[in-house]
Amino acid sequence: MSRNLQTSRNIQDSGIRRQTLVSLCMLAGFVIIFGRLFYLQVLQADKMREQAARQHYKILTMDSPRGPIVDRHGKPLALTVERPSVYASPSVISNPRHVAQQLADVLQLSSASLMRRLQTTRSFVWIKRHITPEQAAQIRALALEGVGLLMEPHRQYPQGLLLSHVLGFAGVDSQGLEGLEKQYDAYLRGQAKTAILLKDAHGHAIRPMVVKQRVGPAGYTLQLTIDEMVQYIIEEALEHAMDRTRAKGGVIIVMDPKSGEILGWALRPAFDPNRPLAADPTWRRNRGVTDPYEPGSTLKVLVAAAAIEEGKVEPGTLMYAGDGQMPVSGTIIHDTHKAGWVTFAQAVERSSNIAAVKTALLLKEEGLYHYLKAFGLGERTEIDVPGESAGLLKPPRQWGSRTLASVAIGQEIGVTPIQLITAVAAVANQGWLMRPYVVRAILDAQGTMVWEQSPQVRQRPISGKTARILTTLLVNAVEKGTGKLAAIPGYQVAGKTGTAQKFDLTTGRYSTTRHISSFVGFVPASDPRIIALVIVDEPQGPAWGGRIAAPIFREVAERILQYLKVPPHVHDAPLTVAMAHHEDPVQSSLSKEQ
Amino acid sequence: MVKPRRAPENLQLSFGGQWFSSYKNGHGWNWHHSPDRLILAVVYALVIMGLILMFSASGILAENWREESTYFLKRQVIAGIAGLVCLHGIAVWDYRQWHRLVPVVVGGVLVLLLLVLIPGVGHCVNGACRWFRVGGISVQPGEFAKLAVVIYLASFLARRQDRLTSFFSGLVPPLLVAGSMAGLVLLEPDMGTAVVLGLLVGGLLFLGGAPLVYLGALVVASVPVVLALILGVGYRLKRVLSFWDPWGDPMGAGYQLIQSYVALGNGGLLGVGLGNGRQKLFFLPEAHADFVLASIGEELGLLGTWLLLGLFLLLVVKGFQIAREALDPFGRYLASGVTLLIGIQVLINAGVVTGLLPTKGLTLPFVSYGGSSLVINLTAIGMLLSVARVPRQRKPPLWHYYMG
Repeated sequence: MSRNLQTSRNIQDSGIRRQTLVSLCMLAGFVIIFGRLFYLQVLQADKMREQAARQHYKILTMDSPRGPIVDRHGKPLALTVERPSVYASPSVISNPRHVAQQLADVLQLSSASLMRRLQTTRSFVWIKRHITPEQAAQIRALALEGVGLLMEPHRQYPQGLLLSHVLGFAGVDSQGLEGLEKQYDAYLRGQAKTAILLKDAHGHAIRPMVVKQRVGPAGYTLQLTIDEMVQYIIEEALEHAMDRTRAKGGVIIVMDPKSGEILGWALRPAFDPNRPLAADPTWRRNRGVTDPYEPGSTLKVLVAAAAIEEGKVEPGTLMYAGDGQMPVSGTIIHDTHKAGWVTFAQAVERSSNIAAVKTALLLKEEGLYHYLKAFGLGERTEIDVPGESAGLLKPPRQWGSRTLASVAIGQEIGVTPIQLITAVAAVANQGWLMRPYVVRAILDAQGTMVWEQSPQVRQRPISGKTARILTTLLVNAVEKGTGKLAAIPGYQVAGKTGTAQKFDLTTGRYSTTRHISSFVGFVPASDPRIIALVIVDEPQGPAWGGRIAAPIFREVAERILQYLKVPPHVHDAPLTVAMAHHEDPVQSSLSKEQ
Repeated sequence: MVKPRRAPENLQLSFGGQWFSSYKNGHGWNWHHSPDRLILAVVYALVIMGLILMFSASGILAENWREESTYFLKRQVIAGIAGLVCLHGIAVWDYRQWHRLVPVVVGGVLVLLLLVLIPGVGHCVNGACRWFRVGGISVQPGEFAKLAVVIYLASFLARRQDRLTSFFSGLVPPLLVAGSMAGLVLLEPDMGTAVVLGLLVGGLLFLGGAPLVYLGALVVASVPVVLALILGVGYRLKRVLSFWDPWGDPMGAGYQLIQSYVALGNGGLLGVGLGNGRQKLFFLPEAHADFVLASIGEELGLLGTWLLLGLFLLLVVKGFQIAREALDPFGRYLASGVTLLIGIQVLINAGVVTGLLPTKGLTLPFVSYGGSSLVINLTAIGMLLSVARVPRQRKPPLWHYYMG
């Protein structure tokens, strides 16, 4: 009995011991877990919080809308609008084939390439940016799994082709790629908006989605010197001219000669900046600044200016233009008509090559080069449009024996359209050479002016007197000479035609069939409001500047004068009188000081 | 010297007695009228905390999945009410009645475990057929098996205490019963429940006084079985490997554990605040079920996890105290079994969540989403309370056995 009790006692004691052991084991287990939790939640907390922040938050950067580009009166030329874009979350799409097929139908994309994009494990891919509202509605109606629409800022050019070469264009992410869009990208681009979103494991944003937001101001507004109406007039005229002449290309630039403000700038062939990639890249080049050409007779204006300024000639100086041929260094300079003895004024009127060469000979190489340089040829005009070329004007020591004669008639020299119009504008502006510009002001989103361009004088190649004399010669050239078709009833137009044979690289000679026909002129001659350069590249048929370019000038200038409400002249020959009374402010102030 | 009150030496277990008879009849037991208040308070606290935290962790998933944020909460509240009714019912019931019900319980659970394996009867999720679906309610017989094993072994140990040293009558029967249950559970497959069953059997046999040789042999014998199970099924091996190095495959096998770490770490000492957890936004899989502890750790911090586990520890300590002071061996083993059941589940679940143990599908008692688990665990606590209601023997404190 007692042994029994002892055994049972032993069993009981051992039972209690075992229970104690088990409970101690369990206690130990709890202690380990407590310790482990302390390690994970306190000692490892910082490391884990970093990981948590990485996966919980999504930093979304959106550009504030790109600022608009407007004309001088505030009419929009480039705008930012909201357009829907389609995106997909491939990771949640269970049937990519079906989705790709459906999207391909609506968006007119290849379903195979869509499939490739949908078969990634990424949580976000763009399917197509900036689709039409109709397409967006169709996609919304399909209600495809893992496919969504986002409104995105999209650059739009409401006027299409209008001014496209100057404006350039912006890319899908609203980044400026060409033209002013590129040049002024830093101003146009809105400050980035950043939003920190809370997201779930599927990458979806959770409501309330924005944890923290920083909104940057919208981009600045670019106000141009361009007048949309002037631009429209020249675009239309150029378009008609291109149809009429079936030319390869064309340029019209209109400028305010007194300030250097560009009022209009049209090029053909043109492109639609809304679909820049649809156009040939060479069409997108702003050939008004990038491509030098041989100006032909229009350069005689500058040769004449130099000769008058130097006192080598006067309007009444007699020159022998001979029998229409003049040998120079083994080649022969031709005139279309035998001129005989003419005054210098008549030579300009008739655009005599021989007279121009003889004038240049009076100036000599150094003299001519000095004046051309002073008129800004061979260097950039510093116009605020990207891609400008300096043209081609070699220094005299590199000139050949024929070069002086060639340059006098606008050959062996490369000028860009903007260089030529700027140089001739100096004649219209009493000799002052201005820096041309297209951006007038930069405004912030509230319309407050941030920066303003004021006219800048570069230099004064000729005096006011020379300019006045030359103007009368140029008026004569339009009224009696080669530029008759540029004359506008009621206004005095000063201008010069030009016909340049194109140099044929294959034959190494000037082509007889391919020409550049041009006209540069300003109006009204006594108080010029506009100067315009018209260039028609390779017109079909008779190519004389007077036949092709001058009428375009006339059409354009007449409409612009009407639009600008410039009063016509009452009398027929008031020019000299008016100009006599027209004082050169700089000169008069100088003479007062003396 | 106060003489401890003891049960009569000639205590006879009353099979076939009246259900609520002990109060009046002649065993000389003096019943407490109300259950142990501390346990009741701890369990209520756990259930209520569990509902709040589980709701916080599940709301967004429910909204996303069922478009009803209270989908899981509603179900858990219904299960909780049912569980508490069971708890109170069983707590006032003489636990010794369970002796009689052992064949019913064991037989019933075996039948259910068999039925759930029959295609069409059992409901499968992700290839695991663990549930019956009856009228929108899911029932998981694996959970019943846990409690059935506890009841069966407690009864077996109480009746066969003197024959435990015998291999055939002391070891084979419990191994057969528990082994068949574990085997059926493994066929579902449900490794977590099988492990719990194995640990319960081992623990209770140890407590019952089974020779250490047998237990050692059992452990040795179970090693190849466990290895075969792990190596036999690809995902289990992956889980085990990922537990060693979760960063080796952060987007694959290691993902869940890393997300659990991130949740715990993001919570830090004080947590990001109730309802403010981010990890439940589908970063942390099973944020409302197996990994609810990580979710709590994020929202309430170390303070919350320690408090919660502290309550469980209190429950376990109290449970072992009740077992030690139980008047009869059945009560002792029943209380020990219930305590082991709760403790093992908590430790394994917390071990998994904190990366100390490989991932198993195991819930945190009272807190994780799961109706069957909640009802069974509350029922088990009911049994513990029933054992506690008898006047307990005063025993010397624990250290007495080691120091004295």
